[in-house]
Amino acid sequence: MKKIGWLLLIAVFALLGCEKDDICDSATSTTPMAVIEFYNAANQTTLKNVTNLVVVAPGFTEGFLFTGVSKIKVPLKTMENITQLQFIENGGTTDLSDDNIDELQFTYTLNDIFVSRACGFKRVFNLTNTNTNLITLDTDNWMTSCVIAQPNIETENETHIKIYF
Amino acid sequence: MKHTLKYIFSLIFLCVSLLGAAQEVKKTDSIAPKTERFGVRFGIDIARLARSLYEKDYRGIELVGDYRLTKKYYIAAELGNESKTVDENQLNFTTEGTYIKAGFDFNAYENWLGMENMIYIGLRYGASTFSQTLNNYDIYNSEPYFGAAPQVASGEKFEGLSAQWAEVVAGIKAEVFTNVFVGFSIRLNYLTSNNTPEGFDNLHIPGFNRTYAGQFGTGFNYTVSYFLPLYKSTVKAKKK
Repeated sequence: MKKIGWLLLIAVFALLGCEKDDICDSATSTTPMAVIEFYNAANQTTLKNVTNLVVVAPGFTEGFLFTGVSKIKVPLKTMENITQLQFIENGGTTDLSDDNIDELQFTYTLNDIFVSRACGFKRVFNLTNTNTNLITLDTDNWMTSCVIAQPNIETENETHIKIYF
Repeated sequence: MKHTLKYIFSLIFLCVSLLGAAQEVKKTDSIAPKTERFGVRFGIDIARLARSLYEKDYRGIELVGDYRLTKKYYIAAELGNESKTVDENQLNFTTEGTYIKAGFDFNAYENWLGMENMIYIGLRYGASTFSQTLNNYDIYNSEPYFGAAPQVASGEKFEGLSAQWAEVVAGIKAEVFTNVFVGFSIRLNYLTSNNTPEGFDNLHIPGFNRTYAGQFGTGFNYTVSYFLPLYKSTVKAKKK
């Protein structure tokens, strides 16, 4: 009887193992954001921190505020092949007169990659932009230039775009 | 002379009675020759049959069989076919395929005379060939600033997949009617080879069941089987 008791106990644990128990770990590489690094235009190998930079999509009221950092992540649209993002210099200050909007237009192809049972798939971006057509030129761009460092945006472990200002 | 005769008679009587006693011992020794039955037992997993009926996303059958090789060892095998649709939070897929498992069982139960019940442990080696169809999936996006992408209906089929594994079995079999056995077993599986497709993973393997991040899996069956006796063998008395 003792042996049967043990068997039943093991059976219970075996059945518990069938429960839906896995949740997508936040450390897993899922749909990536574009990683952008800011460099000094005068000395192109040194990183330069941005201050009160706001990144917002046209038509959106909410955006992302970055200050005191040289590396940022921005989201891209997963349902379209094109994303416009406004990079507003001094956008984080209450004073609107010093705001300077530069717009970047990302064009890309989309691809779905299997991640895991819990996470499902991630959607990755392969940039079709050239270095020159990424930035929308206006009369007073605060960015000097943009360079695509890695056109395949598949993980957030590498820098995809370098911006000099 | 009188005393001598008496002595001889006593001696003969003693000898005769001893002879009789000796014969009596011999008789009891041959009264009940203990025999063990050997043969094949085949059956079906009714747990899989029942699940096929009440679970909409499952259809499966498993045939089981064993052959009694020695007093305690049985050659055992399972043959099955399964189709299962799994609905996860992020994925929905269907696995379909056939599997075979072969190995042995060791009966650790000391039966009373004439009983053939089993409390056993065993080993199997299993192999499965199957296909997986990815029905639909979701895009995992931890920063849905632009909103979550809609579910993608895929329908992509990954064919020609295979996997092999080792299995440790523990179970019981009890004779409920003459030659009819009911059994239950649980299994711990260890994946030894897994041929996964490009762009997807073997998330469920027929016979092995759900795959986890590691190599382990679990399973069980509940069988009804019929024992077909082929021959009897007299059990030799153990030498003391």
